[in-house]
Amino acid sequence: MAEFKADVFQNEYLADGATDAHAVVSVTCSGAGKAGVAGDAAEIIIVDTSGSMDMPPTKIAAARRAARVAVGEIVDGAWFAVISGHSVAQMVYPPHAGMAKMTAVTRAEALVAVDRLRSGGATAIGAWIQAATELFGQVQSAQRHAILLTDGKIEGEPPAALQQALAAARGRFQCDCRGIGQDWVVDELREISTALMGTVDIVAKPDDLEADFEAMMQAAMSRGVPDARLRMWTPQGSEVLFVRQVAPTVEDITSTGVQTTPLVREFPTGAWSDESRDYHVAVRVPVAPLGNERLAARVELVVNDEVRAKSLVKAVWSADTDLTTRIDPAVAHYTGQAKLADTIQKGLAAKASGDERTATVLLGEAAKLAHDSGNENTTRLLEKVVDVVDADTGTVRLKRNVEKTDEMALDTRSTKTTRIRREP
Amino acid sequence: MSSVAVNCPACGEPIVAGDAFCESCGSELASAVAAPVPTGSPRAESFPVPKTTLSQAPGIADQCLECSGKVLDDGFCSQCGKKAPSPRDHWQESPVEWIGGVCDKGVVHARNEDAMALAGLPDRSLAVLVVCDGVTSAPDSDRAALAAAREACATLSGTPVPVAGGVAATVSHWGVAIERACADANAAAIGVARALGNPSEPPSCTFIAAVVDNGVVTLGWCGDSRAYWLPDTGDAVQLMLDHSLGTELIQSGMSRSDAETDPTFHTITRWLGADSVDATPDIASHQLTEPGWLLLCSDGLWNYASPAVAVQSLVHDQVAAGLSAPVAIAAALVRWANEQGGHDNITAALARVEPSLR
Repeated sequence: MAEFKADVFQNEYLADGATDAHAVVSVTCSGAGKAGVAGDAAEIIIVDTSGSMDMPPTKIAAARRAARVAVGEIVDGAWFAVISGHSVAQMVYPPHAGMAKMTAVTRAEALVAVDRLRSGGATAIGAWIQAATELFGQVQSAQRHAILLTDGKIEGEPPAALQQALAAARGRFQCDCRGIGQDWVVDELREISTALMGTVDIVAKPDDLEADFEAMMQAAMSRGVPDARLRMWTPQGSEVLFVRQVAPTVEDITSTGVQTTPLVREFPTGAWSDESRDYHVAVRVPVAPLGNERLAARVELVVNDEVRAKSLVKAVWSADTDLTTRIDPAVAHYTGQAKLADTIQKGLAAKASGDERTATVLLGEAAKLAHDSGNENTTRLLEKVVDVVDADTGTVRLKRNVEKTDEMALDTRSTKTTRIRREP
Repeated sequence: MSSVAVNCPACGEPIVAGDAFCESCGSELASAVAAPVPTGSPRAESFPVPKTTLSQAPGIADQCLECSGKVLDDGFCSQCGKKAPSPRDHWQESPVEWIGGVCDKGVVHARNEDAMALAGLPDRSLAVLVVCDGVTSAPDSDRAALAAAREACATLSGTPVPVAGGVAATVSHWGVAIERACADANAAAIGVARALGNPSEPPSCTFIAAVVDNGVVTLGWCGDSRAYWLPDTGDAVQLMLDHSLGTELIQSGMSRSDAETDPTFHTITRWLGADSVDATPDIASHQLTEPGWLLLCSDGLWNYASPAVAVQSLVHDQVAAGLSAPVAIAAALVRWANEQGGHDNITAALARVEPSLR
């Protein structure tokens, strides 16, 4: 049985009259086990087969190979389906509008069907998501996960179609999104991955697609806890300022909270493998007099309505400025990481709209933040887009000839955070 | 009023009656040199089992002190999130309905270093009230205060009651008993220091004990915890003078208001503990001939209402608001002190005296 642990990192001391309590809650899962045992998992592979996937044909060829590998990773007994996505969502396997159980027979049939993937048509991603929602609705399974691959932006459906599809899909399945090449829109896929609690990334070279799909499917199969929620109680008269996942990636999940009682909100967190996720929570509480100790929040990890881990976020009002002016290192670190992600996205947006001055300032700030927090991955990504003159002062120059894929890589991976280095 | 002078059999230096160890040479003292036990026949009735929320509560209170919400297993309220006090931070005692006290951490201090212990007979013939205030600058004084208060109360509740004799005999009897109880309390405080490995700043506390025997109160004290007599209609009076530099200033002619603002005001000149220079209590007595309230309290309360008339008016306000049980009035006084800022731990112990009811 999976075990969960929740640890709180905070400075609980508030100055006289202060109201805002910040904490990092680190949740760790161990012994999660494997997914897909006895029909417990359902997987859908959605491959973009629009006309552009043939230009060049290496893309569609890579997609076929990747889909084969992904099918290969799905365990026997799991439900699965493969969808060819173009102007409509078309079943590749099974041949009817439903899902099949993985067996030696269905696996062989599916691999044959995937080999017959051909491109042609538009890119109606909303329709593909709608179809996936319907297919998942037909089976009873604890974990529902999809991989979505596209090479371009949405066309061939009204703009509202994606919104409607996401509204219906939210909470029904998790979806990891991949963009191949450079003609797709980062914000479009990020909207989907955020709404459907999945990852988003660029696959610049078609040759890398197989390995990526294999890794994604293996990760999905290693999630033995299909559905966990973060349950948060805050006291009467308080306000939840935000709840953000800050590791492994930054995701503001504040608006995904469902109010279950007047003081309790539950945030879906999807499926868990053996892993650790950090959350930065901020609560504004009613002021209490000096000397008072109160709870700003109770943060719990819940699986099937059973509390599996508990943690307390405290608020202690003190006149001692030595105590109240400290910032907890974890809170400071993750505030910086969230700011880093935000600054990169704003800097790239400024660059895209031609405002080079703002872009230089913002990407310079980002370079400094990445350097100071030891986020080497992000520093390397930034160095493909800017020349770093001085990381300590955040002085950079925009590179003249930047590969679009490098910019997109910086954009998609800006939300990957480094973890705070904890004292042993 | 002084106890019988006794000397250490090992080194010949004077010892305080009731000490377990000689302060000069450290030899263990046999109980044979303890102060003489007052004579008198034991009462037929035994004291009721002390009812205190401190000894009974295994964990934390169930109900939030602030909003009356349910307190969860984690020790915080389920509605307003306030931390429920551990019993040591806030507890109540009411051994019989005419005696009650509340001992509270206050707002500003992190720990409750005050303590109290109360006992009494249901027929209203006898009351024992003890209050000890731990010295904050000496670590673990909360343990010394609690040990001292309980030890003194046990000694006094175990003392046989005088059968006959007038007021003078009663006062003499209880004066000796209180000296013995104070010595036992001091030994208990010293015991705490020993258990902690004899720290350089040993745990220390003030001491005040009062025995009400059929309308006569006898009290003994070391330090600046106080006793007030607050009659329903007559003049209120502080029954003793603090052992503090502040009081010495007032005695030498400074006005009370000037003295109270002097930084040395609260420096106590007598206390219990291993480094005490003088742990002998002063003894005083008073006849309680009319209905009223005997109040013992720590400075966490009287700092906000020092003159006897101010304290009397506080208590009368509570009665006017409809309260009559001593424990409820004590709780109201503690609440009031916290509203004034709660800068120190607060203890209020009350006995309702009604001469006509005897």
